[in-house]
Amino acid sequence: MRRLKTLVAGAVAVALLSGCGAGAAGPTPSEPAAGTAATAPSGPPSGETLIVYTNSNGEGRGEWLTQKAAEAGFKIEIVGAGGADATNKLIAEKNNPIADVAFGLNNMYFEQVKAAGAIEPFTPSWSGEVDAAKGDKGATKAYWPLVQQAILLGYNSDKFSKDQAPKDWTDLWTQDRFKSRYERVTGLGTATAQLVFASILTRYKDDAGDLGISDEGWKQIEGYFKNGTPAVAKTDLFARIASGDTDMGQMPSSIIAEREKSFKVNVESVMPSVGVPLAIEQVALVKGTDKKDEALKFIDWFGSADIQGAWAQQFNSMPVNKAAVAKAKPEVVDFFNTLKQQDIDWSFVQANMGSWVEKIELEYMS
Amino acid sequence: MSSGGGSNGAGTRSMLRSPAVLIIGIVLTWFIAAFLVWPNANVLIQTFFPNGSFSGRAAEKLFSSQRAMKSLGNSFLLAVALSITVNVVGIFIVLVTQYFKIRGSRILFLGYATTFIYGGIVLAAGYKFIYGDKGIVTGFLLSLFPGMDPGWFSGFFAVLAVMTFATTTNHMLFVANALKGVDYQTIEAARNMGASTWTVLRRIVLPMLKPTLFAVTVLSFLTGLGALSAPQVLGGREFQTITPMILTFSNSPTSRDLAALLAVILGVATILMLAVMTRLEKGGTYFSVSKVSSGLQKQQIRNPVANAAVHVVAYLLFAVYTLPVVLIVVFSFADGAAIQTGQLSPGSLTLDNYVRVLTQPSGLRPFVISIVYSALAAVIAVGGLLFVARLLQKYRNWVTTAFEYLLHIPWILPSALLALGLILSYDHPSPLVGGAVLTGTTVILLIAFVTVKIPFTLRMLKASFASVNSSLEEAATIMGAKTLYVFRRILLPIVLPAAAAITALNFNSMLDDYDTAIFLAHPLFQPLGLVIKANTDGAEGVDGVSNTFVYTVLLMVITGVTMYLVYGRAGKKPARRAKTGAGGKQGLTPVLAEAARTDPALVP
Repeated sequence: MRRLKTLVAGAVAVALLSGCGAGAAGPTPSEPAAGTAATAPSGPPSGETLIVYTNSNGEGRGEWLTQKAAEAGFKIEIVGAGGADATNKLIAEKNNPIADVAFGLNNMYFEQVKAAGAIEPFTPSWSGEVDAAKGDKGATKAYWPLVQQAILLGYNSDKFSKDQAPKDWTDLWTQDRFKSRYERVTGLGTATAQLVFASILTRYKDDAGDLGISDEGWKQIEGYFKNGTPAVAKTDLFARIASGDTDMGQMPSSIIAEREKSFKVNVESVMPSVGVPLAIEQVALVKGTDKKDEALKFIDWFGSADIQGAWAQQFNSMPVNKAAVAKAKPEVVDFFNTLKQQDIDWSFVQANMGSWVEKIELEYMS
Repeated sequence: MSSGGGSNGAGTRSMLRSPAVLIIGIVLTWFIAAFLVWPNANVLIQTFFPNGSFSGRAAEKLFSSQRAMKSLGNSFLLAVALSITVNVVGIFIVLVTQYFKIRGSRILFLGYATTFIYGGIVLAAGYKFIYGDKGIVTGFLLSLFPGMDPGWFSGFFAVLAVMTFATTTNHMLFVANALKGVDYQTIEAARNMGASTWTVLRRIVLPMLKPTLFAVTVLSFLTGLGALSAPQVLGGREFQTITPMILTFSNSPTSRDLAALLAVILGVATILMLAVMTRLEKGGTYFSVSKVSSGLQKQQIRNPVANAAVHVVAYLLFAVYTLPVVLIVVFSFADGAAIQTGQLSPGSLTLDNYVRVLTQPSGLRPFVISIVYSALAAVIAVGGLLFVARLLQKYRNWVTTAFEYLLHIPWILPSALLALGLILSYDHPSPLVGGAVLTGTTVILLIAFVTVKIPFTLRMLKASFASVNSSLEEAATIMGAKTLYVFRRILLPIVLPAAAAITALNFNSMLDDYDTAIFLAHPLFQPLGLVIKANTDGAEGVDGVSNTFVYTVLLMVITGVTMYLVYGRAGKKPARRAKTGAGGKQGLTPVLAEAARTDPALVP
């Protein structure tokens, strides 16, 4: 803490002495050449071992990436951790970083890491192929988008027809026929749960309200917890749908097809008129790595249309890289084409999510 | 400043006269300062004084939250209830297997020993397969009483029952061991004077077990306070505990002060409990005073009704203990959907789960890394604390009391915060460790593993030293034996069985650690816990749940083998030595073929 303060104070002093009064520079003071984003030098990979932190290594992703990278001449070592754990780890290690690259975390998590000063601005070679609005919205860009995922409200379509199904999250607790028929979370530790609450709460933004949310908004949260059936530890939502315990609940788009098959259920998703929240997995360069050039080369390779396309093909995901979309599975692409993205103010969400989670855990969960 | 007296106590001054004590004192002071006080002080200061000034925000938020207060109350309720129920069940199964003549006591022992090898979420799931709303026993009961509630097994009662049966491990190991030290001649004398089975038990046997019972009671209390998976699986809406909230908050930088405050509240309660138990323990004599003591012989229960009743209860308990394990092993061969819906068809059992887990590219490497780390940490913790525990038990003054309480610091904070403290303190060169940077090295995880195991190790070692007859030591000293010689040749053989048990338990409990490793593991040497997490997380697909079961069974095998190796040897050698040497009766459960696995840390 004290070190950080000294750093900040030092940087401020330097800025003042040099007579530079530009106020909009933002809080990224410690790099000497602030403002210039790093880019990879040309040339082949050196083969130094890169340490890569990710929350997206499950179901064979980590192994697949390690192998593909090795074929391209990169030696990587994947360290897997949940989204929150990976975020905390990156922040905790900022004084003496161990990782060189981090990927898989969504905007919300990387925004925290960026605010703590643990990642560094850079520009990948594929920056022109992605929609910049899906990545870092700040003036200096410290993370870039790779894969997108929709966070959906899914329901058992054998029990509810499209007309009978809820039209939005808020129907679940305002209409009696859905009460006690949907699964509600018992903890807010996961990214999926946090995104669902971001999607609901940001609709009720009110500067005068508690934590930036109107009373009406908090009433929705109260309704959500009062009327849902609590999730059961280590029992998948799909298993509970299959056994008839519940009929609907939150789910990320990528898991639906596989679990429908495993649990022999049919699930459709709700498309609210405001749209659905997207979780967009990003990639970032860890500040202070001593293998910066190699790390940048790796990011250039990993985010390229070729590799992102192969990844999408392999893991049913939806790439952000426009040139990679052609290689993704057509049904996935179709689904995302019909989908309306909810417009969410991520900097507002990032600034408040911690307090929202705290308030919900303390006051509304039961 | 010398306090304490008699043959057991000695003042600070006499303590400092021994060079061995001085050296140990210096090393211990450094270790405590560098790895217990400094990192945790750092993390606490950072959470409670975020901007250099104290923030009372956390207390205000917590005390105005109904849910937090209710969960906290539940945790305390569970802790108190568990301290009683575990003792009742634990003492019963120890007596049934070691003290009374019961038919088939070896089989019973193996059944009760199943808690050694598994725990956590899978154990709770195992009980749910049997007593849950779709469980086997529930189905049977429903056919008898069609009107009953299929969800009967939930809430406080279910959590207490499961946790009681799951945490008798310490009784089976340490209370059973202490029971072997009871002098049979005293029992015989009492019986000749007409004492009943019950009187002998109450007036002679149980009092001798007190130090160990106090120690395991503290552990049960702690287990109850830190309850996590059983309430999550079986607590339902009505009975949720505080640990899940602590874990959520310690993962969120903006709420970490709440997590720390909650953890400190639980920690202070544990220390209070410890103080009460230490007080109760003081002043008693917990070893045989007869000149020629003899080994315990099993007692026949003379009242036939009582005898039959004890047999029935013993075998009922046996069924309760073993059914979940059997089902877990069976379900580990089923697919994830079958596990989660609880529907099993005989044809669906395959080896697929095992093939998938064992043929991962990472292969056996994480197993080896975890075994090496756990073994090193277990041996260092026990080896290092053997002498310390002896000193703390022998010299009772304000210095040793202070040291003892400081050594319990790891019980106060959850392991995630302990890990953060180590990172905060040693991510830059620090004079405390000779100017080295510890983050990113392989040593830092080992340090964390050792520190986390200190309180448990110390408690159990101290309890076992307390039951050593001090006249043995005095006799040796009078004959001119040096301190180290006495320690090595007389004390060590007597406490070795307990030390071996502690080492094995420590080893087992660290094999699948995640909370510490996630922050401290070297990227090139990732232990098993991280791999398990990656393969079992809810978000990782249907296979996740079946992988959890496979890893549980694999860990059962490892811990089973370890315990067999450790116990097989430790059980034989000291028994032999004890006969020729110290004249004690510490031959430990020679039939212990099953293994030990428990989690006395904050999160079971």
